[in-house]
Amino acid sequence: MTNSGFFFAALNLCRLTCDLFYNLANEDKRLTEYSNIVAAEHKFATDDERQLLLAVKNGNRQAYHQLYHQYIGQVYALCYRLTGDKSLAEDASQEVFIQLWRKIGDYSEQSKFSTWLHTVTSHITISYIRKQRGWVQRMFNIENSSAVNNIAEPSAGEVDIEKYVLRLPERARIVFVLHAIEGYRHEEIAQMTNMAIGTSKAQFHRAKQLLEEWMGYA
Amino acid sequence: MHKPDFEHALQDKLAQLDKQKQPERDLWPGIELALVKQEDQARNVHDLSDKKVRVNDNSRYWGRAVALAAAVAIIALVSWKGVLPNDDMISGEELVAALSAQHEEQKNALLVQFEGKNALTNNWQQQLAELDSAAEAIKKALLNEPDNMALLKMLQSVHQQQINLIERVHSPKWSQI
Repeated sequence: MTNSGFFFAALNLCRLTCDLFYNLANEDKRLTEYSNIVAAEHKFATDDERQLLLAVKNGNRQAYHQLYHQYIGQVYALCYRLTGDKSLAEDASQEVFIQLWRKIGDYSEQSKFSTWLHTVTSHITISYIRKQRGWVQRMFNIENSSAVNNIAEPSAGEVDIEKYVLRLPERARIVFVLHAIEGYRHEEIAQMTNMAIGTSKAQFHRAKQLLEEWMGYA
Repeated sequence: MHKPDFEHALQDKLAQLDKQKQPERDLWPGIELALVKQEDQARNVHDLSDKKVRVNDNSRYWGRAVALAAAVAIIALVSWKGVLPNDDMISGEELVAALSAQHEEQKNALLVQFEGKNALTNNWQQQLAELDSAAEAIKKALLNEPDNMALLKMLQSVHQQQINLIERVHSPKWSQI
């Protein structure tokens, strides 16, 4: 390489390094701006929500209707996965919103409302299932039925995980939904469901074994 | 296929699950109805605690006024029991007898009022009889524990249910919702 060639190569390298730093600085600026926008949006949403919650706490039924529309999707999805039945999930969702009207004063804004509502929904739905199970289990001993283990054929094509979760035996399903989907710890699940921590872990293991089989991995 | 494949596939599938799902029917009307009912009950309790019992001449409200009066009478009886000196205290059995007599009087008054009117269900008298049996069972339990407030409240609740039942089955259809 001649001297001039070396000089141009060094110059190009310098230019590329400058471009890189310039781009990195700009990217950093863009990221800061973006996070500011997100933070602002989050704040506005929180302010709006705060107003709505304040109105509900003051007994405004229209505001509560609005809150219902905002959160029924989240509540019903959780109820549906926990109960494994559309009709029970509808009843449990109604129960959640009936009890929420009384309990909403307990919400202290220390966490996001949706997080708090998730906890309330889980508790109410589990309690609802327990009440239902009282007479259902007297009629049919579903949990111990051998049919439960053969309920789904292993998958041959696209896996519909939702369908498989709904088919899990009741206790395994509740633990699986709370732990794998909702992110609760086994200690919390044990407390919510009145079962031992070891039982919660065992039910989770059982759920995974069944899913593994049904998804064609076993 | 190996276990790590399953774990990976499971995590992938779970991450794709929708966080929201809409019910197939509108659940709000049922919720609203329950809230209205709750508020009515809360208002009744509040009215009782303030002792602001307003008796309406309109026959539609007559039954409710009777029920409120019964509850006030129970409170008065229980308070009286607490205030009286020991040797003059009304015994648990006498209290139960007084409550039952008063309830029978109210129930009969309502039955006379609605006599000959069409009822919304055919089996309301059977339901009334079932509630009677429940009241009898509570009274038997009260014989062993005459001062058990929980049992007294339970008895009052059964009495109230009978009054509500008679009222509801005889109220016009348009006022049911």
